[in-house]
Amino acid sequence: MNPLILKGIRENLRFKHLIAAGLFSLIVCSTVYLTAFLQGSEGKFSVNPETKEWVKGEDSPVNGARNAFTFLLALQGFHLMFLGTGRVASITAEERESGLLDYQRMTPMNPLSKIVGYIFGIPSREYYMFLFTLPFLGHAIIAGELPWGNIIHLYSVFFCSVILYHLTAHAVGLVVPKPRAASWVSRIVVLGLYVVLPGLGQAGISFLSFLTILPTYFGKILPVIQEEGDHKKSDFDYESQITEFWQDVPFFDFTISPTTFTFLMQGLLILALLVTGYRKWRNQALPALSKPSAFFIYSIFQLLLLGCLWTFFDRGEASGLIGQELSANEFYRKEERIMGLILVISIFFSLSVLFILCLINICCPNRHLYLKGIQRIAKFNLARIPRIADESSGLFLTLILAAITLFTYCLLISLALDSEAWELTSTFHSLSLIPAAILMLAVIYLQASRELWFNLGFWGFVGLLWITPLLASLVIGVGWGEENMSLILRLLAINPLSIIPMHWMYEHADIGNLPEEITQNLESAIWFGLLIAGVFASVLQARLYFLRKK
Amino acid sequence: MIQVQDLKIHYGDFVAVDNLSFSVKPGTVFGLIGPNGAGKTTTIKAIATLIEPTYGEIMLGETSVLHQPEQARRILGYMPDFPPVYDDLRVEEFCDLFAHAYGQSSVERKEKVEKALAQTELTTKRRELCKSLSRGMKQRALLAKTLVHDPSVMLLDEPGANLDPKARIDMRKLLRKLADQGKTILVSSHVLTELQDLCDEIGIMRNGKMVVSGSIEEITQRKQSARTLEVEIAGESSKLSEWVEQWPTLSELKHRDESKTQFDIIHSGDREEIPEILSQMVAHGIKVISFTTRKSKVEDLFLEIESGSTEFDQN
Repeated sequence: MNPLILKGIRENLRFKHLIAAGLFSLIVCSTVYLTAFLQGSEGKFSVNPETKEWVKGEDSPVNGARNAFTFLLALQGFHLMFLGTGRVASITAEERESGLLDYQRMTPMNPLSKIVGYIFGIPSREYYMFLFTLPFLGHAIIAGELPWGNIIHLYSVFFCSVILYHLTAHAVGLVVPKPRAASWVSRIVVLGLYVVLPGLGQAGISFLSFLTILPTYFGKILPVIQEEGDHKKSDFDYESQITEFWQDVPFFDFTISPTTFTFLMQGLLILALLVTGYRKWRNQALPALSKPSAFFIYSIFQLLLLGCLWTFFDRGEASGLIGQELSANEFYRKEERIMGLILVISIFFSLSVLFILCLINICCPNRHLYLKGIQRIAKFNLARIPRIADESSGLFLTLILAAITLFTYCLLISLALDSEAWELTSTFHSLSLIPAAILMLAVIYLQASRELWFNLGFWGFVGLLWITPLLASLVIGVGWGEENMSLILRLLAINPLSIIPMHWMYEHADIGNLPEEITQNLESAIWFGLLIAGVFASVLQARLYFLRKK
Repeated sequence: MIQVQDLKIHYGDFVAVDNLSFSVKPGTVFGLIGPNGAGKTTTIKAIATLIEPTYGEIMLGETSVLHQPEQARRILGYMPDFPPVYDDLRVEEFCDLFAHAYGQSSVERKEKVEKALAQTELTTKRRELCKSLSRGMKQRALLAKTLVHDPSVMLLDEPGANLDPKARIDMRKLLRKLADQGKTILVSSHVLTELQDLCDEIGIMRNGKMVVSGSIEEITQRKQSARTLEVEIAGESSKLSEWVEQWPTLSELKHRDESKTQFDIIHSGDREEIPEILSQMVAHGIKVISFTTRKSKVEDLFLEIESGSTEFDQN
């Protein structure tokens, strides 16, 4: 057995723990399960159409078990995904802080074995508590007549998600500097990555939805529960719509089953987290990702974005809420369809830029690391630091990432321009030049600021430049909106993420019937935003250049 | 066995270790001595593969620590200056964990753990949880863990820091015994008396540099070029201080142990000059009660190095 798993079992499953955790799990699980089962089994009251009297239907253990199954799944998720995730992050961070991790780092075990040992050893108590839910699960499956095939699908994805969450927590524990914060930071990261981000799946970027078990649950379990359950009897068919949404995943011109897509997505994320864990285990001081890994991960991310948005830009078809709205011809007016397009392109651009921001933060060397590289090349009389080394400047990588984004963006707008679904009147150049310029300038100043300053300086700069103008424009907009439209738009344009929707609105001002004054304000705001980005890019790059030359 | 060459370690702009070079032969104990912040722990951590140096080379025999860290780790045993242990593991489980992580079979592990516990006199505490141990006992548990995979190179950072006097003596004996068995041991401390009796060689560090290194005898001999004269006089000290200022090879007149009549004077001239100094002192009207030449100790040297009053050319 892996020594670290054995250590986790020894630490967490002594006799007193076995009794306490076992009793806790048993009591909570039996309470939740029995309550849900009994409540679900009871026959429902309905009005008899003939007598107009309330009558109680027949009790159904099948309905009870199916009702309890969902609650049981939530409880299992609480044990392994919530408690387990927090424990993995906090223990990893504590051991790193105390120096215990250094002992492990010095053992000749392979870093991957160490990662496996940590993510399975630390939450051993949570896995033990999970065991106590299994008899109830067995009952729910048998009494609820749930098909084993679907259950196997669901639990394969469930455990894949658990591993993903624990791996995320472990990586957070290795990266977050303060151990006390690690537990909550990991939960927030897990919540953001696997709950909030999947929400964007509703805006057509369906691959983000597959970071959770929800697609498999809605696609494989909910239809079965609805078959005989009381839900079917309800007039409200929202759940049916959700079920339909998860049946297949549009990707380029073909579709993939939700389970396969979930495995694919989670597998890719697990791979990225393993790279991070591996590097941090090898050397705590190394950045979480190397430059080639960042390039590889970002390329896959863009490929997934492209695949998921392909049909939307090509034919105006999409999954999620946007897809439903389009399918239901809610966006029947051209300006409404264009607004949908602007919304999706803004989400695409924002996600890409935020991802690049994270990679800049991870892969660009801070002053310490860069100085180390300089000292080394001076010592060994080398001409320059190798471009892919951790110590080398991140400008080259940053520009490549921006170029990949622009490539995807250009492909998408080409599709939209050629498509009959959108009937766009703009040209390729008018839609691509401004976004290309703002993206390049933004990544150039972000890279320079990251390499000039430490964490606090970098994030402070990004916060001040990107968030403060948005807040100020919000206040001005609420108080003195109409008379200060030009100022509001200029403030918004300081944030490069705002420029994309502004530019698209400007380009399609005729379709949206925007007043002439607003159109002019939009145009001047866009140029103002470009000017600000240009000034920051040149000033910060010049500062970085002279600092390094010195 | 340990060969450190031109080691430089930066923490940002701060140079923690500056072109450090030294070597430790197999079967010897080398003591790194220096005030806090001298760079001892950073040096040990770099040898232990835990810090990546800016540049430099660290060899453990034929193994390069920088280029073959995995191989280096197999022969390394490292004990940090504070004793973090897995609180919820028993002492024997703690040792077993590391024996297991070093790839030993269960039979081998049992034997090695037994031996390590006996060497560190923890056999009676084997079933106790690590969290219930005192700091000294935790230090022993850590040493047991370090010994359990039988490393040929041991790096011990302040190993006696939390031990009581008896335990320190026991540890010294144990380390001596291990060195006699052929292990290469690098120990750091700022408690000089602890190292004087244990180490075959020492290196004194300051501001990331090795100020002096070699055997204790070699170092104290080199120090003979600057010795301390202990003088006790009767009457006023002003006469003595005026006279010392005029004598070119004497300097730094200091009151000894807060006494008004006892002084230490640094003499940097030839040894043959000392009788002349005494006679001139008496001739000058200074009432000398006692006059001795103090033999230089490593501790004096260390204090001087710490205060920056002595400079050695390290070669």
